[in-house]
Amino acid sequence: MNELRRRIGQSEALSGWAFTAPVLIGLAVFLLFPIFMALYISFTDWNGISPPFQAELIGLQNYKDLLVNPGISRLDFAISVRNNLYYVLGVVPLQTSISFVLAVIVNQKFLRGKSFFRSAYYFPSITSSVAISLIFLFLFTQNGAVNKFLSVFIPGDLDVNWLFNANGVIHNALGVIGIETAPGFLATHGFLGQSWWEWLAGPSVALLSIMILATWTTIGTLMLIFLAGLQNIPVELEEASQIDGASRLQHFFRVTLPLMKPTLFFVLTVGIIGSWQVFDQVFVISKGAPQKTTITLAYLVYREGFTNFSMGRATAVAFILFVIIVIFTLVQRRFVNPDEV
Amino acid sequence: MADVQTPSETETDEQPEPQADPADARQPAWWRVSKRVLGYSLLLFFAFIFIFPFMLAIITSFKTQPEATQAPLDLIPSPATMRAWAEEIFGSGQVNFPRWTFNSFFITFIVTVGRILLDSMAGYALARLKFPGRQIVFAVIVSTLAIPAIVLAIPRFIVLGTLGMLNSYSGMAVPLAVDAFGIFLMKQFFESIPREMEEAAKVDGATVFQTFWRVVLPLAAPGLIALTILSFQGAWNEFLHYLIAAPADQSLRTLTVGLALLRGSQGQGLDFPVLMGASILTTVPVAIIFFVFQRYFIQGVAATGVKG
Amino acid sequence: MNLPAPNQWTRRLIILLVLGVLAAACGGGSGFEESGGGDQAEGGGGATGGSDGGDAGVSLQLMGFSSSPAEDQELSKIIDGYNEQSSNTAEFNPVPDYATTLQASLAGGEPPDVFYVNDNQIPDLATANTLAPAEGNIDNPDDFYPNLKEAFTFEGTWYCPPKDFSTLALQYNTQLLSDAGVEPPTNWDELRAAAQKLTKGDVVGLVLGPEYFRWGVFNEQAGGGLTNDDLTEMTAAAPPNVEAFDYLEQMYQQGTAAEPSDLQAGWAGEAFGQGKAAMTIEGNWMVAAMRDGYPDLKWETAELPEGPAGKGTFSFSVCYAVPQGAKNPDASWDLVNYLVSSEQMLAFTKQFPVMPSRPSLRDQWLEANPDLKAFLDSAEYARSPAWVPGFQAVLDQLNSGIQGIAAGNKQPQQVLEETQQTGQSVLGG
Repeated sequence: MNELRRRIGQSEALSGWAFTAPVLIGLAVFLLFPIFMALYISFTDWNGISPPFQAELIGLQNYKDLLVNPGISRLDFAISVRNNLYYVLGVVPLQTSISFVLAVIVNQKFLRGKSFFRSAYYFPSITSSVAISLIFLFLFTQNGAVNKFLSVFIPGDLDVNWLFNANGVIHNALGVIGIETAPGFLATHGFLGQSWWEWLAGPSVALLSIMILATWTTIGTLMLIFLAGLQNIPVELEEASQIDGASRLQHFFRVTLPLMKPTLFFVLTVGIIGSWQVFDQVFVISKGAPQKTTITLAYLVYREGFTNFSMGRATAVAFILFVIIVIFTLVQRRFVNPDEV
Repeated sequence: MADVQTPSETETDEQPEPQADPADARQPAWWRVSKRVLGYSLLLFFAFIFIFPFMLAIITSFKTQPEATQAPLDLIPSPATMRAWAEEIFGSGQVNFPRWTFNSFFITFIVTVGRILLDSMAGYALARLKFPGRQIVFAVIVSTLAIPAIVLAIPRFIVLGTLGMLNSYSGMAVPLAVDAFGIFLMKQFFESIPREMEEAAKVDGATVFQTFWRVVLPLAAPGLIALTILSFQGAWNEFLHYLIAAPADQSLRTLTVGLALLRGSQGQGLDFPVLMGASILTTVPVAIIFFVFQRYFIQGVAATGVKG
Repeated sequence: MNLPAPNQWTRRLIILLVLGVLAAACGGGSGFEESGGGDQAEGGGGATGGSDGGDAGVSLQLMGFSSSPAEDQELSKIIDGYNEQSSNTAEFNPVPDYATTLQASLAGGEPPDVFYVNDNQIPDLATANTLAPAEGNIDNPDDFYPNLKEAFTFEGTWYCPPKDFSTLALQYNTQLLSDAGVEPPTNWDELRAAAQKLTKGDVVGLVLGPEYFRWGVFNEQAGGGLTNDDLTEMTAAAPPNVEAFDYLEQMYQQGTAAEPSDLQAGWAGEAFGQGKAAMTIEGNWMVAAMRDGYPDLKWETAELPEGPAGKGTFSFSVCYAVPQGAKNPDASWDLVNYLVSSEQMLAFTKQFPVMPSRPSLRDQWLEANPDLKAFLDSAEYARSPAWVPGFQAVLDQLNSGIQGIAAGNKQPQQVLEETQQTGQSVLGG
């Protein structure tokens, strides 16, 4: 009897399932079932209010409306993709590089007060996004702290209306060199119902503010992850290259950077997923305004599903977003190639 | 390839005198000095950028509404007023701060404990135990990470309704306690722990659970701390799930939901002193915990620096 | 490991936590579900629209959004009054992010007993078959303004009685107007001239939020509108609408009209209250907002200036709805009847000078708020903006365009044509 119990207790197959069962049941109920239900919904015209399984199955209609059929759904989708793409392309490199530089400096041997700096940088990460967004709302008003602060460095009074300015920054930059309107080809041709000129607008000033906010909140966490990676580099390697007479800079590029690849990969992956899914900040600060320039894909999911009563289309957006994230992660993996150290 | 680091071994914080660096010694003195000045000023600049908004928020909560919008950078409120705190935040009757705080703590506690138990067991099984279907289970768990949470809100609500868990603490906490990221994290972590001690326990005739409980878990402390911290942060700052899981019961509001309520409807002017005060208020409990457990907090997050 | 005695430490911690969870689970299971609406007692009285929902005593929840803390308190007072005279106990539950919360409650089959519905959401909610019809459940059903009742009627079914209503009118700063020697404008030409004269220094003539629920009144005054009356055809690009938007665009271009955000204000009332704008177009909520935020401001309100086609404005309303398949329908309607009874409606609307939706209360309300006559007079010709299910996407598009016109980077003609196209696909579909 005892022997039997011991056998059972030592069986990896049984224990494996026993260990994972509670979580699997939980995941099945609260994650997998909802996901499959959402996938099912994306093939229906469900309005999000009436009983969901009474909704009519409409096949790929929602996906077609977003990707093929001309109309407002496709245009809004295109606008969200544009906004979100600039958001990811801006936030991911920015937060990764700043946090990496900070980690390298904090890792210097001469530095004192490390724990102060680490805590200071990490502090925004522990604050709820609702609270942080409200604080930023205050800082970025037209006569708010950010403008007042920048005015100290710039001649004249800066009065950028950050959160209400819909002008794309690339358009603005082109405006400075005298290109105000679209060259013919860019205006007349487009993709997904949006002209190339609009695709190339860049993030609006309002979106830029949200990007600054997002970068600001995540730098701390990412810096700590880099710091862990840096401190994991074996000391022997460093000593060896010093004996070689390699300069600090050479050492950094030849030894440190390659060894940081796996950490870099992790930070980039987390960053890409998080940036594509940005929602809270948009929700609290701008609700997609001005002129739809801060609508991101996750916010479009919310808007279609919860204020425009097209839950079917909303879930379709979510699954397209899922595909985009997978593609970006894979491409990034090819690029960074973490396995080849 | 999986490996997890604890960063503290090589840190120099507690050392009274930083050691002279041989590479530094070769460099001219002016270069060393200017490099340090540059390093420190960069660090201080960023520290300022990260801390100042919070200080400004605290100061603003003592300003009058006109002063908050007209002189946002003034560091000393004149006139200083307790209006935001006394009348709006604590005095309006709409705000039940003690209850919200209790709810936030209580739910965060359940979620954190739940994740520690469930995620570590599942993570261990996926890392070490060879059971049929393991690969598939892991693949499924990881792929759920790429689904945006917002799309699950309504399906989840329907599940909660079917199970009769709406408007209850269990409905608010249990769905958050099952969490794919934590399993992923713990699996990576367990894979970085040497196997020898487990093998020894097995030879001694311990069951899998005994091995896990007596041998593996104690070794996993850094990973568990990381998980605790991430769970605490996540559950404390969660907003949408709490709102949707308990819409009908005002006594179940958390701090984040209460804060959103304070923001009020669109179309009203934003009362910045009140909003800043309330934002700070929701931050204070987690900030206290942060400063008390700072050491573990930061080690823990750093331990999430999972390779590959 | 660099942690103190990890073996003991971790294990003890975990045991402690497990005990904690068990304790929490027990506690959570029993003690904390006081107000979950679990009491399933059926309403006793079979008669609908009766004065009392039943003797069993049912707990009811009224879910809504919060317009202002003061209004919440006033409503809670009225509900306290209900609880005193009824065996039921009702509670007002204002929630943040109302649309999401309500939708989740409805979709999950756990709707609140009574809830607010905005007039422009009626088409979507009615189509989804979520609202119980009001006909036969409400006392004095004929004593509501017909256009308000119409706003809460969809395809022939009246769903819910209007709580109260507001109209848009013109507010002006009496001090600034008399300083400039300007009379309150009564038509478009006068409005343009007044705005010009009043714009000087830091003051802008007119502050107007860039959204259709403000700009649209000019369409009405020009004889336009987004659709025809049957909601079958889009008319957004029709000449009257273009004329109205051109008129507004000019004022923004000249700087005699501005967005609130241009004046560092969160909404038009804030800019008006701070004296940064001499005129604005808002609704009854201005009264409470100015009284609370800017008690020293001297201001008055007048009917909106007439356009080429005469007078026009919008009215906005919220109703008390009872869900389809309510747990205790009789008790729910009992509460609704109490809230829209003449006595309670008058008590509430006097305080927060939104207007009673029952015409029989008109005179009493006016007596209490003589200076708000303009809002009430506007009701004669006000239109409730509500369209068809799915129309919100069109409004999103139009609002985005209006923001573009106000910011000076979009043309009215272009915006309205885009809206025309978008809308046609919604109406036609």
